[in-house]
Amino acid sequence: MMECDRLRDDRLDVLYGEADASTRRRVEEHLASCGACREELTGLKRLRQDLRAWTLPESRGPAFVAPRRASLWLPLAAGFLLALGVGLGWSGAELRYDDRGLGVRLGRPQPAFQTALAEQEARALARDQDYRREIAGLKAALASGLPEPVSGHSRDDQALLAHVAEMIKESEARQGARLETTLARFDRKEEAQRRYDLARIAAGLSYLDGKNGQHVARTTELMGYVLDAAHPR
Amino acid sequence: MGRTDEELVEACLAGEDSAFDVLLGRWEKRIRGAIHRLVGSDEEARDLCQEAFLKAYKNLRSFKQEARFSSWLYQIALNLCRDRMRRRRGKTMVSLDELEEGGAAMTVAGPTALDLLQERDMSRLVARAIEALPDEQREIIILKEYQGLTFLEIAQVLDVPISTVKTRLYRGLDQLRSRLEREGLRGTAPLPAPTS
Repeated sequence: MMECDRLRDDRLDVLYGEADASTRRRVEEHLASCGACREELTGLKRLRQDLRAWTLPESRGPAFVAPRRASLWLPLAAGFLLALGVGLGWSGAELRYDDRGLGVRLGRPQPAFQTALAEQEARALARDQDYRREIAGLKAALASGLPEPVSGHSRDDQALLAHVAEMIKESEARQGARLETTLARFDRKEEAQRRYDLARIAAGLSYLDGKNGQHVARTTELMGYVLDAAHPR
Repeated sequence: MGRTDEELVEACLAGEDSAFDVLLGRWEKRIRGAIHRLVGSDEEARDLCQEAFLKAYKNLRSFKQEARFSSWLYQIALNLCRDRMRRRRGKTMVSLDELEEGGAAMTVAGPTALDLLQERDMSRLVARAIEALPDEQREIIILKEYQGLTFLEIAQVLDVPISTVKTRLYRGLDQLRSRLEREGLRGTAPLPAPTS
């Protein structure tokens, strides 16, 4: 067993094919006389075969890009772009992206207030033209004939006014009648409440009377007892 | 015969940027595969792989020619994985969704559907068994079994003696054998108890 332990590392060398000739010979000699180590080595070879079952899936993703040391073209390109930007800025070029899409304008822009003034003038001119068209339309309508001018109320208007006054009167009458009905209903309600209250008061009083009567009767009875006690018959 | 990794590093340091492209083409897939197995996600593996190469590129001058460039690169990648794992400790190590997508085994024409299902199940079983190992054993199993590094290279990557690498590997294999046996994978003979 001591020999088995001592040769363990050598057996591993043999197992993995790293043993030199002398080590291999030493192990072979030991295996020839040691069944346990022979069996162990066979088992380890099988185990190694089993371990090959663990395969990895195909690797995904792009190949790794090798890093690069800093070269000259990058600073040169950066410098060129910077110079281009400065030049365009100095010349007043404008890069614009709005509802109309991407636009590039070369040259210096007009001052903002001049642009605004021009736009305002254009709007005023458009409004003036609208008014002129409107006036022309009215003139044409006048020329084609207007209804007779109003010099007072016509007969129809007076009838209409009388009708309206009548309607107002009827409305007032209806409102007055409705008010009277409401007041009468209120009166009736008040009267009913009053009667109810009176009935309750009367009932209360009669209850008190009754209580009082009982009390008197009881007092009388007690007095009778007292008198009987004071003056035995 | 192409230039060695170390010669390419020297060329890159001398200003030949395309030399790093060669190194990238030579190691990117393997480093990415190792990271994928360590962190369990292809997306994360992409990020970490890029990070590892960027870090290597920035620190190329600190690379000492005593070790191999690949060991140095694995070391960078492994440290990044450890940082990432520390940050998300407790989450699933192996993305089962990715395993279920089938991978390369599913795209190979020939095997029957049953074969593919069995392969997928075995892949998942093995992945889970390795995921359950302690980090120090898991790293070595991955570097040894799936990356094919020598014991010396692993020792350089992990900065530990070769004997330590072998001890951890032996224990890891023993645990894997027990676990896979419990899971119903074909049995292997039990290993004698390690003495160190």
